[in-house]
Amino acid sequence: MGLGYREKLALRYVLAGVFWLGVAGIEGILMRARLLGYISDFYHPEEYYAVMTVHPYVGIYGWAYMAVMGAFYYLVPLVLKKNLYSERVANISFWTMFFGVLITWLSGFVFKFSALYTLYWPLPVMEYPANSTLVFSIGTIMIFASVLAFFFNMFATIFLPARGAGGAGYVAKELLTLAFNLDKLKAKTKGIKEYLPRVYTYPVFVVGVFRGCVDTTLNAIVMAGISVILGVYSIANLIGSAIPATVIDPLIYKNVYWWGLDLIADGNVLIFTAAVWYFLVPQLVGRDLFGESLVRTVILADLVISLFVWNHHMLADTPQPFILQIQGQIFTWGELITMGLTMFAVLMTIWYARPVKYSPALLAIVLSILGYAIGGSAGILQANYALNRYFHNTQWIIGIHGHIQLLAGLSLTIFAAIYAAAPLITGKEMDRKLAYISIVAFFVGAVVMGLAMGLAGVSGMLRRTLYFNGEYFGYMAVAMVGALTMAFGYLTFIYNFVKTYGFKTVINIFK
Amino acid sequence: MPKLLGVLLIHLFKSIYFWVDSMYLQQIVEIFYISLITVYIIFITTFIYITAKGKREIATDGGSKNHGGIEKSEKIWLGALFIIAVIGNIIFLSPIIPSIQYNLYTSEEPVKTIEIIIEDHEFILPENPIKLPLGEPIEFKVYSNDLTYGFGVFREDGTMVFQMQVVPGYENRIVWIFDEPGVYTIRSTEYSGPEHPYMVLYDVIVVGGD
Repeated sequence: MGLGYREKLALRYVLAGVFWLGVAGIEGILMRARLLGYISDFYHPEEYYAVMTVHPYVGIYGWAYMAVMGAFYYLVPLVLKKNLYSERVANISFWTMFFGVLITWLSGFVFKFSALYTLYWPLPVMEYPANSTLVFSIGTIMIFASVLAFFFNMFATIFLPARGAGGAGYVAKELLTLAFNLDKLKAKTKGIKEYLPRVYTYPVFVVGVFRGCVDTTLNAIVMAGISVILGVYSIANLIGSAIPATVIDPLIYKNVYWWGLDLIADGNVLIFTAAVWYFLVPQLVGRDLFGESLVRTVILADLVISLFVWNHHMLADTPQPFILQIQGQIFTWGELITMGLTMFAVLMTIWYARPVKYSPALLAIVLSILGYAIGGSAGILQANYALNRYFHNTQWIIGIHGHIQLLAGLSLTIFAAIYAAAPLITGKEMDRKLAYISIVAFFVGAVVMGLAMGLAGVSGMLRRTLYFNGEYFGYMAVAMVGALTMAFGYLTFIYNFVKTYGFKTVINIFK
Repeated sequence: MPKLLGVLLIHLFKSIYFWVDSMYLQQIVEIFYISLITVYIIFITTFIYITAKGKREIATDGGSKNHGGIEKSEKIWLGALFIIAVIGNIIFLSPIIPSIQYNLYTSEEPVKTIEIIIEDHEFILPENPIKLPLGEPIEFKVYSNDLTYGFGVFREDGTMVFQMQVVPGYENRIVWIFDEPGVYTIRSTEYSGPEHPYMVLYDVIVVGGD
């Protein structure tokens, strides 16, 4: 099977992502086993929390980001009929991300850094040896550097008319103008009534990609900044000139942190997902996207709303101004509207194309819509000031909202893209029966696991607490069944991939 | 017959009211949520079935790329989502939910203030057990001298009564009215290092014990 550079690059990213998904899965099963009271002889709280710290980095950046990067490196130039701006940057970005995730993982596995992904100030600089925090900081800086390199490459590919034409300033100007429809605004101020924004010259998929990239770029800048702060503190400690933790205000830090972190939920999880649906569904059912005009506006609305929702993470912080908390609540309901419209457009596209043949990719998309509906509804409920008092930091949040959104929602969208794109890249389709089994097992497992965790949360189980006396055993046992079902779906996918393309191809992709 | 039906209906509504009234808020949310996702699952299953079997229809927008305007069905759906969002916000900002009622709508002064300090993963309580009256507003002020912690109060069956974050350098304050007598447990609800799971004090709050 002869593959071009871009095809190899895409598959390399995707396979690395699939590898990290497996690692994240093993981590999850280990934590679940510990919550069930097993492996307690060698899996102490230090190890448990070290794994819990690296788990989201492995899952989000290792799996979701790498797979999305691979998909977009292939699809964006394909859709725009252009070359990728820089293959070299894409290649460097791959290895930076891979080793960044690996170093972050080692910071937990070897150095026992366990400040969790929340990194609430001043925990990372007060409770851990400086060398462990430094290793974590190096790993995460590499991750965010890779993410920023990817976005630079995407923006340059999309906006530069030709390689060498225009510079970073040109790209930034184009990006801001098109991402926020500034040209339409300008036309309005000049009194031009009939004006079609320039964004319409781009396919809706590409619009989703660059608008999502705005969110994720801001996310990477904030998160990289926090990693740099941790690095500076660690180095100062190592050279004996410790900086007092009181230099940074914990509440302001938390606001900045959540503003930056939540953008990933909108950029990567919601907008990128929408972009992939908008691209794949019309291709899969052979019909134009329903209501494309509104869909474009929805992506813009999502981008704007995403900048103002971070306060729903701070509803349990009583020193936070009340007005900000209510603002966070109201804007979060805005996401119900934007995501609701996105799902509507996709389902209507399928509806008007009926009868449709449910290929593995299409089935994965429809199930991912269901996953987002299940996880998103839980998110909307908990993001209210009143209910947050009872749900904050319980398993409800991470189980029903977090894991169902990420596994049944985002991951199934990524699998849909893989099932749809792999035959285009390789000329061979994976076994359909195995694909259906894999998709359904992954979806059912994710929902069962997430629901069991969430209902444990209703009964008072906290998300970041290790219980020692078999509390919530029944819920965790059901969650384990869900996790193992998902693992079966994952392994079926691996088997199907290797069976279809062979080990040789897999190895060749990395040459 | 209609009279009997009326009596039965009144009994049914009363039973539902008392059943719901006896539940914790989380349990009501749980029932609502499970019902909601059951509807989603039925809808998507039916959708897959119909769209796989149905007859091809002509699209209302003709399947064309229409750069302007908005479909009628989109308008209806947008309106429905907007109404759900408005109703949701009204409900969750209204005093029917105790957490917001105590902190936004109750003008009564707290009858007792409990100040708790957290330092080096330890709760420092003003008294042990903390004795509180039933049905009266109680003010909790919790301070951290080092890390970010959480402050949660739990019933004997493990369900949560309320919680808040404890940010160092700030006064973290909440007002609560306990509506059930009993003993309650305090637990840190926010991770603060591997010692976090040990930050629990069982049965240190006694409500209505006098």
